[in-house]
Amino acid sequence: MSTLSPPVSERDHVVGPADARVTLVEYGDFECPFCGALHPVVQAARKSFGGNLRFAFRHFPLRSSHPHALASAKAAEAAGEQGKFWEMHDRLYRRQTELTDTDLERHARELGLDVDRFRGSLGARAHEVRIREDLASASQSGAKGTPSLFINGEFYEGPLEREAIFAALARAALAVVP
Amino acid sequence: MAQHRMSSEAAQTAAREIGRLTILRLTVYYVMAGILIMCLSALLPLGSIGPIPAEPPADMQGAIEWFKGQVAMFPKGAPVWLDALFQMIAAFLLVLPLAFVYVRTRTRLKFDHSLIQTVIVLPIVVTAILVVVRDSLALAFSLAGIVAAVRFRNTLKESGDAVYIFGSIGIGFASGIHAISVAGVLSVGFVVVELALWKFDFSAEFERTFARLCMPSGADMADVPGYRGEPEPTPAGNGAGQAHPDRDGAGRSALLRIYVDQVDAARPKIEAVLERDAKHWTLEQIVAGTGNTPELTYRVRARKSVGLDALREHLLRDAAPHVVAADAPES
Repeated sequence: MSTLSPPVSERDHVVGPADARVTLVEYGDFECPFCGALHPVVQAARKSFGGNLRFAFRHFPLRSSHPHALASAKAAEAAGEQGKFWEMHDRLYRRQTELTDTDLERHARELGLDVDRFRGSLGARAHEVRIREDLASASQSGAKGTPSLFINGEFYEGPLEREAIFAALARAALAVVP
Repeated sequence: MAQHRMSSEAAQTAAREIGRLTILRLTVYYVMAGILIMCLSALLPLGSIGPIPAEPPADMQGAIEWFKGQVAMFPKGAPVWLDALFQMIAAFLLVLPLAFVYVRTRTRLKFDHSLIQTVIVLPIVVTAILVVVRDSLALAFSLAGIVAAVRFRNTLKESGDAVYIFGSIGIGFASGIHAISVAGVLSVGFVVVELALWKFDFSAEFERTFARLCMPSGADMADVPGYRGEPEPTPAGNGAGQAHPDRDGAGRSALLRIYVDQVDAARPKIEAVLERDAKHWTLEQIVAGTGNTPELTYRVRARKSVGLDALREHLLRDAAPHVVAADAPES
């Protein structure tokens, strides 16, 4: 079974308490339709598991099949620079057909970001390095495509359906003594 | 006032395992059913209709009679009601394993209680109809007219459920034309194939790999040292299953699936919260089987002053550590 490598650390985009019983990591691509379909499931899991779940997102942009994936990943990072990574993350998944450069700027504006700063940081070297590190970690961890999920560090091989994912998360939570 | 009612309890195993006991039971059942059918047929003076020629005759009527002689055993001189009773008993005995396999292979959410009754009763009815119609073209047309007048429309939960309906009709049809052997083969074949498909979860792996993932190509991973993945074609698909906007379910009933560590320990704590925060609540289901994550499913109507989201938070907080998640699958 594939194991997450490197494990979740301070460099990751994380939401949820550090002492949560379950950590869910997603390797995702903002233009991937299956990631888009998974997004509400993850949202529901965050709501349903509350403080028992910590969620981390890592970039896995598939540039060859999704022409806007890399730019979207950079946009999320640029928004993160202004403290709104998760807002941009959610917005991009909800509006997967609006990922052109113009759309990304519009998203930034509507999220209340400093658009000039956002535009300037889109091409930042640091974001590219970070995305490349995420891609390397996907390869190292054995992520086969997008979306790939890791639950408490273990690759999740089950179906990407709400019931199955929730059951796997619950099993992982129960395996941890509180 | 809160309503306390448990409508059903289920214990299921998550693993797709067909135990030896299941196979043994099915085998014993088929042997017993076969013996019973043979005993019943021995009571009735059954037999082929006259000598059967080796080749079918050229004329249509002759060919039909030849076919019937090949597959069917007809009563000689038995009253029609006794004949019908025998065929219906045979249909009933042969369809029961289908109902068993349905129960065995369905998950809790895909389980359709009414379908089991339909699968059991349908072949009996089909057999009776065919006994009545027999070779009468006029009766067959009358039946078609009646069927056309009555609209049978029902949405099945699963597309696979339709196979059980067809299997059931097939057994009823075969029994109705006195082809019990064909009904038997259909019943056994159906059970074996269904159990095998379920056991090996046929095509699930391909679904996971090809239908649910966007696969990286070499170009995506060009910069990644050590990547050894094979380039894969991008699957078709448009990401069905979009999100419903989150809703706070206050004021209407909602299904609440609660994942717990131990049912007995969690239930009093959960129900104390529901008693406080819900206007009405009903326990719908308990899953506590070996290998499964214990689950309690409630139908809940949150108090307007609380709301469903807050109720879920209260469950996580007040019933901790027994409750690990409170999902509202309909939201």
